[in-house]
Amino acid sequence: MRKLLSALCLSLAMASPAFAGLNVVATLPWIGSVAKEIGKDRIAVTTLVKPSQDPHMVEAKPSMILAGRKADILMYNGLDLEIGYLPLLLEASKNPKILPGKPGHLDCSRFVKVIEKSTAVDRSMGDVHPLGNPHYHYSPRNVLRVAEGMTNALADLDRANAPFYRANFKAFAAKWNERQNRWQAVNLKGKRFVAYHKLFEYLANEFGFQLVGYVEAKPGIPPSAAHIQALIEDMKNSKPDAILTTSFYGKKESESIAAKTGVKTVVLPSDVGPLKGTDDWFAFMDKVMSAFQ
Amino acid sequence: MKLVLCFLCLALFCSFGSGALAQDSAERLNSLEDTLKNQSKTIEEQQKAIESLKNDVEKQKSQELQRSQEESQLLSKASGFFGGNALTNPNISVLLDTFAYGSNLNNAELENRGIPGFTTLGKDARNGFNMGAAEDGAELFIFAPVDPYFNVYVNLPFSDEGVVLEEIFAITTALPEGFQAKLGKFKSNFSRLDAQHPHAWDFYDIALPYRAFVGNEGVGGEKGVQFSWLPSLPFYTQFGAEVLQGENDQLFGAGARSGPHAFSLFVKNSFEPTENTTLYFGPSVLFGKTRNSNILTDAEVDGRSALYGMEAVWKWKPSSREGVTLQSEYLFLTQRGDATDLTTATVDSLRRHQDGFYLQGIYQLGRWRFGARYDMLELFADSFKRADVQQYLGQTPWRATGSIECNPSDFSRIRLQYNHDRSGRDGRSNNEAILQFILGIGAHAAHTF
Repeated sequence: MRKLLSALCLSLAMASPAFAGLNVVATLPWIGSVAKEIGKDRIAVTTLVKPSQDPHMVEAKPSMILAGRKADILMYNGLDLEIGYLPLLLEASKNPKILPGKPGHLDCSRFVKVIEKSTAVDRSMGDVHPLGNPHYHYSPRNVLRVAEGMTNALADLDRANAPFYRANFKAFAAKWNERQNRWQAVNLKGKRFVAYHKLFEYLANEFGFQLVGYVEAKPGIPPSAAHIQALIEDMKNSKPDAILTTSFYGKKESESIAAKTGVKTVVLPSDVGPLKGTDDWFAFMDKVMSAFQ
Repeated sequence: MKLVLCFLCLALFCSFGSGALAQDSAERLNSLEDTLKNQSKTIEEQQKAIESLKNDVEKQKSQELQRSQEESQLLSKASGFFGGNALTNPNISVLLDTFAYGSNLNNAELENRGIPGFTTLGKDARNGFNMGAAEDGAELFIFAPVDPYFNVYVNLPFSDEGVVLEEIFAITTALPEGFQAKLGKFKSNFSRLDAQHPHAWDFYDIALPYRAFVGNEGVGGEKGVQFSWLPSLPFYTQFGAEVLQGENDQLFGAGARSGPHAFSLFVKNSFEPTENTTLYFGPSVLFGKTRNSNILTDAEVDGRSALYGMEAVWKWKPSSREGVTLQSEYLFLTQRGDATDLTTATVDSLRRHQDGFYLQGIYQLGRWRFGARYDMLELFADSFKRADVQQYLGQTPWRATGSIECNPSDFSRIRLQYNHDRSGRDGRSNNEAILQFILGIGAHAAHTF
């Protein structure tokens, strides 16, 4: 018993905060990456979802709950993308600081001009997100707004470092301007693409291309053979410019359709991290835009 | 402009003052005048058009301004976390749980098939169509935050006989330092399968040790209060304690004492040995006063019980599409008290030291899940003494299970399960086949670990 107690004391001592800055918990890698650009070394970022995970199908793990317990602020994508695990995390982490309505609760989609809000939707249509398309990390304009929102939230929680965060946001915005010119120089206007999942709608909006078909007939429901066959016939006639897919979500199916139709596949990174050279959000966007060239 | 042109014309007229040209020039002047008039008309028309366009643009500008103001208001509005409007509508979901059952035993044999030395209660399932494990064919879940301090959860299972208030409880959300209290009627977190709802189990039925010690549904909803604490440590450790009324009619009994007479303590730990694996384990104990007639066929047991548990889960999840879960629990019961014969009212002493365990594995590949389970009672302890005499209860109870599941979406599950059940101790086996459908509508419930 005495041994147990001393072990407990030791672990408590180990737990005493060596790091004085804000503990930021981000659900998705890109959110963690943008937060790091704003907070730099004055925040500690824990990202819950691994880059290789499909963000739609994440299960809550005790380690996530523990991270939530220690968080000063929780930053998440919103629009129901985290509905499978975040409500549980919020309750089980027993941390009032990160509950809805508190300054430590940041729904990044609040700063986003959301597209594809559905008014009439039911689950027979598949895994439709009724609050709108949640994959806005492909949208430079929206990510800039999110970065600004994060800056305000961090500055609000940590007044002493507010000028530091604001200066970092200025640098972020400057870098954004420079990159945005480069990204906009990639001419995708009027191009027509087929996509595996409804991931690239924001990209289409900002870069002026069209999404003319989906390999998934209904989002989140694996496509039937009949649907794929119909899509192949359609693609043979309409000859779209490419099939857009990500490195692990529908790549196999897309490649087999590509082989049958002669339409090339363009593999885009799904988030910050899973592919080489996508270590932060800027590198990720660079990779996205260079994949088209 | 018009004036200048007129002067110009006048000058021209004067310079060509000679009579011979007079007629010619008059004609020319007339035609010039006409064209001038026409031109001035078109200019006027164009000016009008420009002005109306200006008006239109200004209108649009003001509209846009209004819209952007509205938008920024929308953006700054905090949305309810669970989606939708949680202020006026609590989150509601309904679960349908139905299965077809076939066994080599007839319904009367199933109803009387207890586990001698553990429970007299038979199986719930009947040959043919059934509504849900423990006959709860539909379950209504309602949950919502009450205010910044409490969340409320309600679980109402519906069966042919009516509605049961299985769970209604509040959870505190504002306590500091990782403390949380739960109060109302809720499922105990004493062990793993107890805390899960039947539809969340990996098989259609509960593991054999649970059936033997606490009944077909586990401890089930108990009135009481729970305190838990998640300290901020480098690893996940949660401590919990519960004070319960003790109405479970297998381990306790509503009439065992007038006040709360069941208590539990538990510790849950977790760490991640590698990036893709998670280990979860913890000991627990549930103890209290016992008084019921579901242990012996011929007598009521009145005494004290303590049920010790150890749970362990190992999960390997390299991707969203694939994964393996191994799960095992060990339960050990000590019970001592009096057994009062129901007909003669003679009183004997009763002392039990019995245990049981199960080990199960699930392999998931895309929408498919394949499961196997082995349960056994009296692994190390099989002491059952009535009037200080060890009773012979029959063969060691065990069961083997295999299952295949298809999950077309997050909200539907189709399961085919086969049990080879030797828990009747009479040498007869119960070979069961189950085809189960679980369908959920309404709010998305989060998955627990």
